[in-house]
Amino acid sequence: MKQFKWSLLLVFLFVLISLVACSNNETDSTPADNDDNSEGAEETDTEEASEEVDLRVVTTMAGTDPAGEVFQEVLDEFVSEHPHVTIENDSQSADAGTIRTKVNTDFSSDNEPDMMFYFNTVDAEGLIEEGKVVNLEEAEGIDLSGFNSMLEQQRHSDGNIYAAPQSGFYEGLFVNKKLFEENGIELPTTWEQYEAAIEAFAETDIVPIAASTEDSYYVVEHYALAAGGMENYTAELADQNPSWAEGLDNIKKHADMGAFTPDAATIDLAMAQELFKQEQAAMIFEGSWFWGQLEEAGMGEDVTVLPMPVYADGGETGEIVGGASQGWFISTKSYEDEAKRDVVVDLFNYLTSEETIVRIAGATGQPPAKGALDDLPAYLEAGHQLVSDAPAVALPINDRIYPEAFTHMRTSVPNIVSGNTTGEQVLEEAAGMEE
Amino acid sequence: MKGDKLYIFLFLTPAFVITGIFLYYPFVENILQSFYKTDGFFNSTFIGIDNYVRLWNDEIAREALFNSLELMLYVTIFQVGIALVLAIMVNAITKGAGFYRTTFFFPIVISGAAIGLLFTLIYNYRNGLLNEILVNLGLERVLWLTEQSSLYMVAIPTIWNYVGFYFVILLTAIQKIPNDFYEAAELEGVTGIQKMFKLTIPLIVSDLKTCIVLAITGTLKIFELVYIITRGGPGSSSEVLGTYMYQKAFEDTAMGYGATIAVLIVVLGLSLAFITNKLLQKEEVTY
Repeated sequence: MKQFKWSLLLVFLFVLISLVACSNNETDSTPADNDDNSEGAEETDTEEASEEVDLRVVTTMAGTDPAGEVFQEVLDEFVSEHPHVTIENDSQSADAGTIRTKVNTDFSSDNEPDMMFYFNTVDAEGLIEEGKVVNLEEAEGIDLSGFNSMLEQQRHSDGNIYAAPQSGFYEGLFVNKKLFEENGIELPTTWEQYEAAIEAFAETDIVPIAASTEDSYYVVEHYALAAGGMENYTAELADQNPSWAEGLDNIKKHADMGAFTPDAATIDLAMAQELFKQEQAAMIFEGSWFWGQLEEAGMGEDVTVLPMPVYADGGETGEIVGGASQGWFISTKSYEDEAKRDVVVDLFNYLTSEETIVRIAGATGQPPAKGALDDLPAYLEAGHQLVSDAPAVALPINDRIYPEAFTHMRTSVPNIVSGNTTGEQVLEEAAGMEE
Repeated sequence: MKGDKLYIFLFLTPAFVITGIFLYYPFVENILQSFYKTDGFFNSTFIGIDNYVRLWNDEIAREALFNSLELMLYVTIFQVGIALVLAIMVNAITKGAGFYRTTFFFPIVISGAAIGLLFTLIYNYRNGLLNEILVNLGLERVLWLTEQSSLYMVAIPTIWNYVGFYFVILLTAIQKIPNDFYEAAELEGVTGIQKMFKLTIPLIVSDLKTCIVLAITGTLKIFELVYIITRGGPGSSSEVLGTYMYQKAFEDTAMGYGATIAVLIVVLGLSLAFITNKLLQKEEVTY
């Protein structure tokens, strides 16, 4: 019996040692952990790592984003030219903000991607302050030449540039021209026409505006812009600008007029997009990335994008929400890893080269940060015209205010619509959260 | 006895190590986190019990708490209740029992996300299954997810999803009851529905107790069905503690406040499990 007991103990010890040994093997083979090894081991590992380098790249080019396919092709070409490199494309759709959670979790758990295409907004503040991403202007080998003005838009308040842009975007009112024509309704270029269009479509079986009042990012922004013009739109949340509250209350006014589908409070953005793509809705607030989906649905020609009609004194229709809020970041951990640095710099310069930028931008029709797109279809040209004609362009509200405060604003829209609260009250609560 | 202790220690160690690392350590971290105000994962400021004060005054959290408790009531009554009825019925038949067992158990193997999507497409106003049927019958569309109905509409798939789980537990318990008991009862003149109340249920009461505790604690973990079907809405009419915690911790990156809601969920779960155990305490029946 005693012998059996000792055999069992030995077996247990053997299993334990094997497990530890296996985990050690795995750790040693990861180039990212070279820093932790002793000097002697480091030399051997660096040699091994120069043969095989594993990179992980996180972007928002996934899901319904048509740039995803082109981006994967671009990565495949880089890997075929650098056979010792393997790249894990860990991209995730930007819808519903889950990419923010992913990136924050990755960085806070010491599992950061080597490179990422992420929001260079309030979302990246923590990463920059903690030194988790590289100052590109000081990084050796990084080529920041050839960019248009979008590069300067990336400059952080501390004077450094941590992200290189790929393309710009604009948001606007996407309208199905065909449905407007068929129903004899004028395209909404003024606030009065916009309200008239809502009233007219509400009498038909067509939903005037495809929107989710819960995921109401673009709706909130555009209604605030319409009510206040650019001057008030760019105000701080702490100001509790009355035009923002008025904009929120206008959503209720229009909901009461039948602007949205009755289940707008429970559908998500994707469902709202489907309504528009199935021609069950005449208008939708979206961004320039939406063109890719429209092209896939074969309805690019039937749609045009208009600026939100602004009715505020001092405001001007044509002012738009847009800019270049996303950029390529390099994680400090990866840059400081001798085994990875050269490859990461090469990949960065490759992905931000004019050829690659134009190629990826071509998939979505968004204005590139380097070079220009040729032979654009008329509807995409109209979008680019919208940007060049805009008297003022500003980033979305959620890119510059405290995330919890904006979530409160957008998720309170169903309560505003049902009359349980008002725009002013919601704004006051949101401002309180920011404090 | 000494030898037994060694084996006990030996076999329990891996379980203790794993639960320690993956359950108790994160839980302690979670409690610590609840005393901090966090912004974007990287900035943490110690704020004492401010998060708990905020939770106490948070109307949405209160609504989420009451919704969770209401959902718990429906789920416990209907999941365990329906499972019991189905188990007794399936036990009573000889032909096709296997078919029914598989059919009732089937929803368990479908992921919550898939069931959520399924019911989203069933309830959808413009193109949903229910409204398509109504329109084809010449009737008006119905808004299925309203402030008044959303919680019930979420309860339906939640109940359907897990009935099979309790059904299998209860069916196995019923099948363990020796046939002699029923034969003796028949000789005593006990028939039909009386058999169920006087024999079957009293003999499986310990299994029923387990099912009820599991249903109660399980309801507090409900997340994906609510998140996918209603997103807690309209407004916060179907918000539950799980979805509210997710929103605060991961969408708003307010990890500290999210951790505070998580502490509430754990405390609530433990208290309810303790209370249920106390209330249902009864001498175990052995046979």
